[in-house]
Amino acid sequence: MFFQQLINGLMLGSTYSLIAIGYTLVLGLLQMINLAHGDVFMVGAFLGLTFAYLGIPLYLSLILAMVGAGIMGILVERFCFRPLKKAHFLGPLVSTIAFGILLQNVGTQIWGSEPSRYPQTAEIAQFHLGPVVVSSIQIIILITSLALMAGLDMFIRRTRMGRAMRATSEGQVNASLLGVDPDRVISFTFFSSGALAGVAGVLTALVYLQITPFIGIRQGLIGIVAMVIGGLGNVRGAMIAGLLLGIIEVMNDAYFTAGYRDIIIFGIFFIFIVFKPEGLFGAFKKET
Amino acid sequence: MSGYIEGVLALMGINILLALSVYAILMTDQCSVGNAGFMAIGAYTSAYLTVKMGLPLLPALVIGAALASLIGLLIGIPALRLKGLYLVIATLGFGEMVRTFFLNFEPTGGASGFRGPMGTTLFLIYAWVVGFIVVFWLLDRSRLGRSFDAVRDDPEAASTMGLDVIWHKVWAFGFGAFIAGIAGGLYAHYMFYIESGNFSFLLSTMILLYVLLGGMQTFWGAVIGAAIFSILPEVLRFIHEWRLSFYGAVLVAMMIFRPSGIITRQMVRDLGERLDKLFQTART
Repeated sequence: MFFQQLINGLMLGSTYSLIAIGYTLVLGLLQMINLAHGDVFMVGAFLGLTFAYLGIPLYLSLILAMVGAGIMGILVERFCFRPLKKAHFLGPLVSTIAFGILLQNVGTQIWGSEPSRYPQTAEIAQFHLGPVVVSSIQIIILITSLALMAGLDMFIRRTRMGRAMRATSEGQVNASLLGVDPDRVISFTFFSSGALAGVAGVLTALVYLQITPFIGIRQGLIGIVAMVIGGLGNVRGAMIAGLLLGIIEVMNDAYFTAGYRDIIIFGIFFIFIVFKPEGLFGAFKKET
Repeated sequence: MSGYIEGVLALMGINILLALSVYAILMTDQCSVGNAGFMAIGAYTSAYLTVKMGLPLLPALVIGAALASLIGLLIGIPALRLKGLYLVIATLGFGEMVRTFFLNFEPTGGASGFRGPMGTTLFLIYAWVVGFIVVFWLLDRSRLGRSFDAVRDDPEAASTMGLDVIWHKVWAFGFGAFIAGIAGGLYAHYMFYIESGNFSFLLSTMILLYVLLGGMQTFWGAVIGAAIFSILPEVLRFIHEWRLSFYGAVLVAMMIFRPSGIITRQMVRDLGERLDKLFQTART
């Protein structure tokens, strides 16, 4: 029973991690929250659903949803961040919420406000590992998200673009003096942030089977909580905190009252941000 | 007046109050995306007092707002440790905590909401709006208002001049929470029914948007911003189901093309001078 819940928690948490990474990448770079992120996630979920209806195989629709949501991320940056460099620091925050409203409304027009059902395309296999039952979907979710996280981690640490991202987040002026084009790095960061949210969307649609255009609101908030607990701007922290939150949520539902789930999550969140704002694993500090 | 127009005007008045509550906190260069939480405290407390305890509306409103204000002060003190983005996230967390609290708090209906509060009239809403506008107008001309300006523009210089920066910041939080509490009470007694979903972070950020788009250099920006942008979705009704898309696009475009907001301090000053001249020529 306990191990079963642990697996379920890890599965749920891995989608939270993917969302949280998107927040934390943007925050590390621009010191701002992208409140449309949850809605980019929603767009990813619906893209996955639409592709499934068109009969596109899952691996391909994951990639397509990644690209689609990634482009959405770039659009958010173009409209809500780039033109507002000289505005009040809250400008991008409120601008992204307006963008989110727009995405929700467009989503409602295209897919309707009623829950949409995810078509059952593949046969679900159940594997029995001792007392634990794992479905093929759970395995797909865990492997996809863990592989993406490991890939991103390698990417940030090992590649030229990854180094440019780290340099830009430490200081845009210095980075551009050293030959990094900050605008390109920022665009790329928003693309990866959106792409990860898109994958998380498709995976969440696979689990929940029913999605609405408003699914991004709660998932987006949970992503922010995971980011805070992992430490603002800390990518590895966001991964671990997302998994932890998934486990906490599932354990709470299994052994405690499901209704208190969000009180507990937001309570932990508030305690962290006030008393331990650097999170569990240390926040990223901008060098000034 | 038809019921529809009255409803639009009532919500506009409540939005103006909420925008002023955000402005009060912004006065000291702090920001809050949790004002829907203060609003919820005011709404639920006053509704409980009138429906369950039989208290008249006015004292219930004030008690609800006082409780919101007290919690605002309590939140304001630890939140002082935080600046900028951290404060944004903390207030966001606070707002969501309050919302989930009321979602699960059975004495005020929990998930099924709370039915029964009534008695808010359009006149009552606008009496509060005018009252708070007068308070802000007087504040602008007072020593206290100047010290709020000083704390916002340069807290270090302000404290060197002997101003208690912390005191100003905490009270700004308490004052903002009080206004939001009043707005919440009025809202509850206008709608006859409230549920926790009414007070989400979406509302908090929308109010912040009104203030930023209206202009945050003077309180008139908050008033005008809230008025324009709570009427705009109604004006846009002719494009039917796409109106929220259009609304969102307008807001994004407004942020791009007029980042300092509609009303600037210079504008208010120019208008004041022009009015003065007008009066002088009228007199002679």
